[in-house]
Amino acid sequence: MMNHSEALHQMAAERYLLDELTPDAREAFEEHVFDCQECALDLRAGAAFVEVAKTQLPGLSGAAVPSLSRPHKAKREWWLFWLRPAFAAPAFASLLLVLGYQNLVTYPRLRAAATQPRLIPWTQLRGDMRGAPLVIAADHKHGVALPIDLPSQPSEGAYASYSIELHDPQGKLAFGAVVPAPGQSDSDSQRLGLVIPGAILRNGVYTIAVSGVAPNGERTVIDQYAFELRLND
Amino acid sequence: MQFFSFSADYVQSLCAGDRQAQEHFAAYFTELLQLKLRSRLQSPQAIEDVCQETLARVFSALRKEGGVRQPERLGAFVNQVCNHVLFDHYHDTGAVESLDVEGRPEPVAEGADALDIAAARQIQFKVHAILVNLAPRDRLLLKAVFLDERDRDEVCREFGVDRDYLRVLLHRAKLEFKTEYIKRFGERIRLGERV
Repeated sequence: MMNHSEALHQMAAERYLLDELTPDAREAFEEHVFDCQECALDLRAGAAFVEVAKTQLPGLSGAAVPSLSRPHKAKREWWLFWLRPAFAAPAFASLLLVLGYQNLVTYPRLRAAATQPRLIPWTQLRGDMRGAPLVIAADHKHGVALPIDLPSQPSEGAYASYSIELHDPQGKLAFGAVVPAPGQSDSDSQRLGLVIPGAILRNGVYTIAVSGVAPNGERTVIDQYAFELRLND
Repeated sequence: MQFFSFSADYVQSLCAGDRQAQEHFAAYFTELLQLKLRSRLQSPQAIEDVCQETLARVFSALRKEGGVRQPERLGAFVNQVCNHVLFDHYHDTGAVESLDVEGRPEPVAEGADALDIAAARQIQFKVHAILVNLAPRDRLLLKAVFLDERDRDEVCREFGVDRDYLRVLLHRAKLEFKTEYIKRFGERIRLGERV
């Protein structure tokens, strides 16, 4: 005979209702059920649920569910509230204003900034991480332009490329780029300009790391620069 | 819910022909016997016949001197008697139920009063609430298994679930339903307690 813990552990009542028990297991469970009030109650409840459910399931399709005569307040999804006219009308009016401002003011300014020549202060970096970092004053409108010197290779083919990484005051990688390494026969070094748009600038200490990347992928840090950015606006 | 075991007093009352005890006993075991028999017999009439014969034989045994030696095992005794009656039924019908009893209307439960009807209505509300809160897929799964009586393995394959999922689905629904069931019918199904 099956004992109570075995019946619970094996989910015997569920298996019985689903007709999953072998003939022997079914006999053993029945013998237990006739002796165990708790399992008998469990089985009765399960059987009653199944019997009533069988009468109701045909009316409950996969998605739409009719209510059972007892009136209840229709439940609306919370995210649909923005479609209510009281909210939607002013919301769409505000949206039109924003779109109008962007089309008439913001986009022309951005287009002009991208297509027109402009002057940006050029600040020379120090490749020395010791002592207080170089202070650079800037504003959100103009951003910052910094020269990056890529040194010539110590030996022919030592580096396949150079990696340049800019980290913001929070230590997050703000920009990263890989450029081909100049050959040993090229002039002493190659100078690049790193332009940081004003929109992403924030006060604090930025660091720039220049690494040489060997053909096997190994990286060697060649130069490190640090500067403290102070915004004027 | 507090459970009670069969006591010698309860069995003594049955043996003495106490009508209230006998009614309680019959009500308690009739449902269990029907659950047991419906997986073995097709016709409702055959189920009813075997059920009634089982109860009659149990009462008969109880009235005999030393009929039930272990009152606390009264349930096991009922099950054993039912197995014998079932065996006799198979023997009498040649293991095949006669067709003349098949299709007879199911016996109507007698004595259904307003409280029974109200309780049944509440039970329906509860089942409806449980079904409505299920995912549509789970409802279709239950329908395929219990109503359409489709092959379990085929249904599981179609819905991309395993047998455990089916058991747990039924287990959770049953657990939620059980509270309402006990509230409505608990008093009637306490074993060994005089009602």
